[in-house]
Amino acid sequence: MLEIKNLHATVGGKPILKGIDLKVADGEVHAIMGPNGSGKSTLGYVISGREGYEVTAGEVIYKGKNLLELEPEERACEGVFLAFQYPVEIPGVNNTYFLRAALNAQRKYREQPELDSMQFLKLVREKLGVLHISDDLLHRAVNEGFSGGEKKRNEIFQMAVLEPSLAILDETDSGLDIDALRLVAEGVNRLRSEDRSIIVVTHYQRLLEHIVPDVVHVLSDGKIVASGDASLALKLEDEGYSWLEQGGIGAVAG
Amino acid sequence: MTHSGAHPLIDQWTDEFHALPIQGGPDWLQQLRKNAAAEFALAGLPGRKTEAWKYTPLRVLERRAPAIGEAGRTMLLEEAFPEPVSRVGAVVVNFENGCLCGDLPETQDGISLLPLSEGLQVFEQKLQTLIPSIETTGTGRMFAALNTAFLQQGLVVHVGKKVQAGTLQLRWAFSPQGASKLGNVRILVLLEEGAQLDIVEQFQSAVETAGTLNIVTQVELGRGSSLVQTRILRESDEAVLLTSTQVEQGAESSYQYNGFDLGGGLVRHELHSRLAGEGAQAGFDGAFVLDRKRHVDNHISVDHAAPGCHSSQFFRGVMGDRSRGVFNGKALIRPGADGSVVRQSNANLLLSGLAEIDTKPELEIYADEVEASHGATVGQLDEEAVFYLRSRGLSDAQARRLLTSAFCHAVTDRLADRELADRLSGMIDVVMPESMLTGEVGQ
Repeated sequence: MLEIKNLHATVGGKPILKGIDLKVADGEVHAIMGPNGSGKSTLGYVISGREGYEVTAGEVIYKGKNLLELEPEERACEGVFLAFQYPVEIPGVNNTYFLRAALNAQRKYREQPELDSMQFLKLVREKLGVLHISDDLLHRAVNEGFSGGEKKRNEIFQMAVLEPSLAILDETDSGLDIDALRLVAEGVNRLRSEDRSIIVVTHYQRLLEHIVPDVVHVLSDGKIVASGDASLALKLEDEGYSWLEQGGIGAVAG
Repeated sequence: MTHSGAHPLIDQWTDEFHALPIQGGPDWLQQLRKNAAAEFALAGLPGRKTEAWKYTPLRVLERRAPAIGEAGRTMLLEEAFPEPVSRVGAVVVNFENGCLCGDLPETQDGISLLPLSEGLQVFEQKLQTLIPSIETTGTGRMFAALNTAFLQQGLVVHVGKKVQAGTLQLRWAFSPQGASKLGNVRILVLLEEGAQLDIVEQFQSAVETAGTLNIVTQVELGRGSSLVQTRILRESDEAVLLTSTQVEQGAESSYQYNGFDLGGGLVRHELHSRLAGEGAQAGFDGAFVLDRKRHVDNHISVDHAAPGCHSSQFFRGVMGDRSRGVFNGKALIRPGADGSVVRQSNANLLLSGLAEIDTKPELEIYADEVEASHGATVGQLDEEAVFYLRSRGLSDAQARRLLTSAFCHAVTDRLADRELADRLSGMIDVVMPESMLTGEVGQ
């Protein structure tokens, strides 16, 4: 699905990613953990193509294609989805209208017929039911006045409708209470499938109790310094990130 | 013939006035025309030194030097006018190059719709007070003086006590004969106590014409009456439109202006309301979407002359290419107008480094217990929002178009007539050209 090789990126001239190597196979869920400022969000933005994030070396190969050559919307149409840490409020743009425009833009790109409003509404109601989200969300402006939990659920809802092949969830757990966290995690788990890979970016282990990853990576100062199975997350929970600086990598790497 | 020597265009119009003085109407009107002719000649053409006009140069008009007078009608109604925009059942009145087309439609009891000449006979007493009440002195008021000097074409609308008159649609179109002329029109609206009327004005021509209109609208609202005036401008870049609207409001009356300047090359709206009776309300809403070298100027002034009145101004502007927008919103709260509430808001999006907006809210308060808020903002599209939309699959142009439309929909969302609001939202989406929405010119 995704292969990142020696990825270096700068933001405003400042190096943030300093040689990332990462391989995500079809259907796998990877967690990327790390302290603040380690480059977790930057990785998500580089993969989704945000302006201002300059790749200075390395490559990102997605389904055999060089992702870095594509515009953000082309990446989306190819099946890449970023669930934002801070979903943007867009007053005046209706949530349903926006999502249908997005889905149809993607369908058009893939040479699939566009959905009319009736077909779209049917699809949306199906997804809402599965995610336990109320209809009310559809009639509001995109994220405007949403609570933190509603914003995150709206991201997962968009993901459910757009059905990406590669989803990056950027700190989807931040700012959520335990009930909201459970709902969001449940939504993500329902979207796990053999042909969909998910990268969960998080600071804390608690989300990973609900979304159990196949592989856990630790990102520190722009590099992956450790990789392991789900138990690595527990170790981080117990010991914090401080051992990274103390050269304790060898103890867990493997 | 004596010339002021001030400006060739003023001399031209003064010559026209003396060569072919407009006849008809009562003596007081003849005298009024003469006085007004002297006033516009004395005032001269507004220029950079005229405070109220300093951001709105009149070079197009000077080059064009249109003659005043009737261009005559030549096109069939259905050829000259696009589809009416208002709801089914509206009474439609058509103006070609500023001239009334054909006979006026029948109206229900309690509503009079008359050409100016007839209106002057039927409602002379009221009009003798109303017509001269518009300010015609000074350079800033030159076009009002011009309008009075050449007062001949126009419409009188009268709605009787407690009559709900429904929608009156005025359609304004140019035809090629209008290219060298200036259409000079007066609209007079009288609403008796408790009367209600919606006016929808549509400015749109089937044939692109370098026409010019100078429209003065005078409104008198009786106690508890209500007028909604919605103006939809979809003219070509060649069109020049100068309007001046003056509303005199009785107690508990309500006036709502909704302006959608989605076309026209040089557009100037002067909107003035005097809240003369206690508890009156005036709202001025508008959206202007400009591209190429178009210029739209909205000059609003509200005079709170009685206690407990509310006024609001809510304008959104979008400027791309080399266009220029002007917004001047003024509210005056006179001594004794206690308990007044004033809201002003003008937000603007500049989509090009070469576009310009001059925005100026003005508040003058001489009363107590006044609640006032005002704000003017100028900004660019939120790039984070653009990226958010693109990350979901929308193209850069689609994302910018969507965000820009949404910015203007804040105005249509306030319309009471939801059907019209939907149609206007659709129109706004259509007039947003791709060329003005490329990210590169955003800075």
